[in-house]
Amino acid sequence: MAETAATEAFGQGTESRRGFLTILTGAASAVAAGAVLWPLVDALNPDAQSESRARMVVNVADIAENTAKTVQWNGLPIYIRKLTAQQIAAAQAVVTDTLPDPADFTARVNAAYQNYVVVVGLNTGITCALEGNDPSDPRGDYDGWLCPCDGSQYDALGRVRSGPATKNLAIPRFTFINAAQIRLG
Amino acid sequence: MTTETKQIPCLGALCACLCAPVHKPEGKYLDTLPGLTAILLAFLTLSGLVLAVYYDPWHAFASVGFIGHEVNNGWLVQAYHATGATALFGLVYLYLFRAMLTRGYRAPGELVWGLGVKLMAVLLLVGWLGFVLTGGAAAYWSLFKASNGALALSGAAGAIGGWFFGGPAGSGTLARLELFHAVLAVGAMAVLWLLFAARRAVVPRAEPGQGVAFFPYYLAQYLVALAVFALIFSVLAFFTPHLGQPAVNALPADPLTLPLGTVLPWYLLPLAGIAQALPGIWGGILGVVGALAVLAALPWLDRSGPAGAKGGLYCVFTWVLAADVIGLGITAAARNYPQASLLLVLFTFWYFFHFLVLTPFVTAIEAK
Repeated sequence: MAETAATEAFGQGTESRRGFLTILTGAASAVAAGAVLWPLVDALNPDAQSESRARMVVNVADIAENTAKTVQWNGLPIYIRKLTAQQIAAAQAVVTDTLPDPADFTARVNAAYQNYVVVVGLNTGITCALEGNDPSDPRGDYDGWLCPCDGSQYDALGRVRSGPATKNLAIPRFTFINAAQIRLG
Repeated sequence: MTTETKQIPCLGALCACLCAPVHKPEGKYLDTLPGLTAILLAFLTLSGLVLAVYYDPWHAFASVGFIGHEVNNGWLVQAYHATGATALFGLVYLYLFRAMLTRGYRAPGELVWGLGVKLMAVLLLVGWLGFVLTGGAAAYWSLFKASNGALALSGAAGAIGGWFFGGPAGSGTLARLELFHAVLAVGAMAVLWLLFAARRAVVPRAEPGQGVAFFPYYLAQYLVALAVFALIFSVLAFFTPHLGQPAVNALPADPLTLPLGTVLPWYLLPLAGIAQALPGIWGGILGVVGALAVLAALPWLDRSGPAGAKGGLYCVFTWVLAADVIGLGITAAARNYPQASLLLVLFTFWYFFHFLVLTPFVTAIEAK
């Protein structure tokens, strides 16, 4: 009893023994509550399958020149097109200032893999899947993609060239893992 | 409690309520049982909300497997919820049994007792619905029997059963039962809130100058009780996550093959035993309703009066009743031996005999 009184007399607020015990109990309780509640929070994070779908790996080695393949990613049609040397030269020669939505060659392709164009294959005017992946498809006047719904035309890099649409095709977030594979997301 | 918090009106009122020295000192640790029940109900609501995100009543069994296998920490959330149900019934049964032993149900505690029985009744229904939602073989068997029994009834009872189950058991049945499970759980919280209010109205207050405040005296007691409870809960959740659940529920339901050993979770077994002991659908319904009714009527069946002596003989009979209820549960779980039906009838008879005959006579004799 005398000891308690002495402690009370010497220590003020959190400096006393009781204050220390209070902090210790509070800290332990906070850790315990956090450990109990964390699984409930974590359960709402995307599961492994959703994570892997959101970070999809696509094989691009099997794409023939001058054609594109379509993959569904996050609900979007992604067009991955392999350019010919001729198309690369033609695209580099375009004077970008004259375009409706100016963007130069380096802004549209990966510097290390210049022959691949990766775009979201939806018209930027009214939303509509574009035609022109296969060389036999109608591609418009610029050897790119044509919108069957409003007639907007895009070139091989996905830049808008004519039609109601005024914006270039969106480029999804992607990285080249190696020359044969890209990862979307 | 600093002056800053007192300047915020609602916090100030809360502080005044928590710091008012009105409670009697030397409260019992088991007085925290309703408080622990409230905390556990909140915890079950949280884990149930997380499960409801992924649960699909149209593919119940597959979605339960998906939660356990694919969802991050889903196995742990399932263990939380299943062990939470076990712990909840542990708390409620312990609370009611303690009230019977201490005879806390007598005036002025009749309302508190009645609300406690009502809480148990609502929770039993919520627990059964939650068990049925798992979509396993045992769950399907139980739902199949209940819905077919309800639809076979005539008149208003059959109409109510048809409304509740929406026709014979199928995938769509679980969609509505999921909703009933959640809504009735909220109802259970409301009953618990009423129980707190009723208890606050009748609990004896300390003499002026001799009481202690909730903060910090009883808060410390609650924290100790909560820590002990959390330890027991952790052991159950991590070492026996399927405690008291029938093993065949891990099989998918097949309407044409009902495997042996399809029983209910442990907390439903005593009442199921009474239902099985009585013949027919109406026998089962009357057995369940009657068992809960005589339990709720205990304050009036006890003839010793509010100030009567607590006799030792009646205390012994209360322990015998506990053994009887456990016996009902064990017998209902293992019905594959010939004497089981007779035992169920005997245990059921004793249950009602205890309340309707023993209780009035023994308490009246001991009060003299």
